[in-house]
Amino acid sequence: MFRENFPISMPRFTRTGFNVLVTFGLAVINSGCGEAPQAKFKYRPTTEDLIPEANKAVVKTLTEDFGTPEKLVAWERFPVDYGGVKGTVAANDGPAGAFSVTLDGDAGKIAKGASLLWVTGSQAGGKSAEATVKSFNAVTKTLQLASASTAPVAGDRFIVAFGEDMQLGRVVYMKNCMHCHGVTGDGDGPTGKFLNPRPRDYRNGKFKFTSTQSQEKATRDDLHRIVQYGIPGTYMPSFLLLGKRETTAVVEYVRWLAIRGEFEKRFVEELTNDYSESVIVDSIKKAQASYEEKKRNKEEAEKPLSESKAKKEAAAAFKKYVDDKELDGAIEETANLLAAAWTQSETPEVSVVPTSQRVEDTPESRERGRLLYMSNTTKCYTCHGPTGRGDGAATEDFWDKPGTSVKFEKRGLHDEWGNPLKPRNLTLGQYRGGRRPLDLFRRIRAGIKGTPMPAFGETVLKDPQVWDVVNYVMSLPYQQKQPTAVKHPAEVVAKNEEKPAN
Amino acid sequence: MHWWFPGDGNAYSTLGGKIDDLFYLILVIVSVTFVGTSAALGYALWRGAAIKADEKVWFSHGSHSLEVIWTIVPSAVLLFIALYQLDVWAEYRMKGFAKEKDGSPKIITVVAEVTARQFEWRIRYPANGKPLKPTPQPDDIYSVNELHVPTGGLVSITLRTDDVQHAFFVPMLRVKQDAVPGKMIPVWFDATMPGNYEMLCAELCGWGHYKMKAMLVAQSADDFEAWKDKASAEQFDDGYRKPAE
Ligand code: HEC
Ligand code: HEC
Ligand SMILES: [Cu+2]
Repeated sequence: MFRENFPISMPRFTRTGFNVLVTFGLAVINSGCGEAPQAKFKYRPTTEDLIPEANKAVVKTLTEDFGTPEKLVAWERFPVDYGGVKGTVAANDGPAGAFSVTLDGDAGKIAKGASLLWVTGSQAGGKSAEATVKSFNAVTKTLQLASASTAPVAGDRFIVAFGEDMQLGRVVYMKNCMHCHGVTGDGDGPTGKFLNPRPRDYRNGKFKFTSTQSQEKATRDDLHRIVQYGIPGTYMPSFLLLGKRETTAVVEYVRWLAIRGEFEKRFVEELTNDYSESVIVDSIKKAQASYEEKKRNKEEAEKPLSESKAKKEAAAAFKKYVDDKELDGAIEETANLLAAAWTQSETPEVSVVPTSQRVEDTPESRERGRLLYMSNTTKCYTCHGPTGRGDGAATEDFWDKPGTSVKFEKRGLHDEWGNPLKPRNLTLGQYRGGRRPLDLFRRIRAGIKGTPMPAFGETVLKDPQVWDVVNYVMSLPYQQKQPTAVKHPAEVVAKNEEKPAN
Repeated sequence: MHWWFPGDGNAYSTLGGKIDDLFYLILVIVSVTFVGTSAALGYALWRGAAIKADEKVWFSHGSHSLEVIWTIVPSAVLLFIALYQLDVWAEYRMKGFAKEKDGSPKIITVVAEVTARQFEWRIRYPANGKPLKPTPQPDDIYSVNELHVPTGGLVSITLRTDDVQHAFFVPMLRVKQDAVPGKMIPVWFDATMPGNYEMLCAELCGWGHYKMKAMLVAQSADDFEAWKDKASAEQFDDGYRKPAE
């Protein structure tokens, strides 16, 4: 189904005012293993709940700007590295279809048959047929195209093998990650249902174990670490041997899925209040009730609209919304916001770096940490329990669903995705976000995103205090003497070693 | 000649060569048996078809002496194999507990605790200069899917599993051992040459069985220690960098 040899097609302009949108075509080359089922992106329930006109507009936007799993679209506005080598025409001096170039990247990627896209110049914007590289001379930097179309001029920009990494990322993802994380990245792959904790749903654009401040996105390095080393204590396995190129590509693909998912979420949130079926039905029900109430009291009242009429009105309002370019505005705004957020996360300013060295791990430091842990400024103990076993009082309560006054059915804390979540048992020495002191420092200072684990940075704890808490937390697994009921073979062997001769 | 063996065909452990010899011995025995029985069968078919109408047939069915022969001969062969391989088996499974010939204890470096889980290998090493303890220690070093061992001497790992049954398999070193829930099993082996060797799970352990592909990195004792120092420094990194002045 997902082979690596999918051709790429040319740029396509969907809406004016956008950057170049490029599709990677996917003429399915089937080599004898039968028709595989088509992979599809799923839409959120809130998208499905929109009135048909609005739903159609959302689906159209998502399909045009992000494509389908079989036919990805690269929206260049987002800081995603889709792959390929960019270059500029230096001079068009050779025979027809040949010209010398300067490349921005590695020439090794230019192979015979690679596709070439014009980014600027007379042939840009999909006006010419897709060009293919016939040969590339690395010494003279001369590029020969398979067909001589209108001649490019010096300064024209192009991309060779555009989208290559993205396609590789998709293949790696479909092979290794999809069955847990789902085609859409919604954490609902075929195996996902059976796991606890559930695989991450990327569509909130949130990742838990990051190096950035509490309101920021994850960095590429954070995701890279997760893919390489896995998340101990969960079903997220380590992919250490995946290969550097593959890992980088799949990380890029995951970022892209996260952007696509959050784009849908935010975009639909803009529309839900006015154009969602359930909201319309609800408001009619309310209006009807108050109408009847008023009538009973013999007050003057206006009969509310019928459901079909209300939907018709909403549809008309939506048409106006589109005609007034407000829909385009919402798309623009959402895209801007996401592009800015994902660009910002890579900047050093938002990275959580300790301003002071780790406080020496002494009994005094641990004691200071313990007192902070048990204090009411941090309230660590309310979640993690006085002994650190993850059994604090908060796990016994019923909590409200975020943004509502409805309670979760289950006792205890939940994460942003609505999954029940236990505070970590700190006596096990198992740290999902990594066991470096730096990792724990970041967890405590910036919290764990999308979970109730709060950020204690600057406002509550100063850096040296965070270190005291880190020292205390790291000492917890080794405090009580664990009974050694089973004789450990290492001990047996070690004894053999230690025993003097004879 | 060793093309059917994993990797380049050579065994990179001391015991591995002996295991390969056993393999060849058994291969020869089996080949001789196969060719011999096939020839006998072919002869019987040919002889039976070529028999003349008036010739008297020889009924072998129920022949006491034949039955005795084909009971005793294979038993003898099997007994021979059983006895002949004892030494290799003992070296693989028992001799780690035994002493050297001169009475001194065997020198085995206990390298790490290897824990298999669905679907990865999590590994815990003692800090440089310390013995491996049965329970985690504050200065232990951790790695995942990458087992480092020193070359040039017998090493031992403690094999465990967190969930179901798995098997630790390093084809190029010819080591294989099941990991059994609730058990901590010492596995002895050596690596004669530094290098990266494939490390696999050899027990169908679930849908992700094929993912349990890891790497065994054999290094000289010095490199091994240096690696441990480096891994330890990384693991205890506090992320603080002195600002440039
Ligand atoms: C066996 C199921 C499984 C497979 C296969 C899997 N994951 Fe995961 N993944 C999980 C689970 C479960 C979590 C959530 C762990 C948690 O919440 O602590 C997770 C979390 C993640 C996270 C979020 C980390 C964070 O900081 O929030 C990323 C990124 C991720 N996986 C990427 C991948 C990639 C890339 C692949 C494929 C190369 C992959 N996963 C394969 C189960 C899986
Ligand atoms: C409101 C409840 C709450 C409070 C208060 C809280 N935590 Fe947590 N903590 C959690 C939850 C929930 C998790 C698990 C998050 C997850 O894995 O998704 C967690 C996880 C952790 C982890 C594990 C990190 C890892 O990488 O596995 C550490 C360490 C930790 N908390 C320390 C602390 C410390 C120290 C404090 C006080 C300064 C504290 N927590 C306060 C709820 C809380
Ligand atoms: Cu296994």
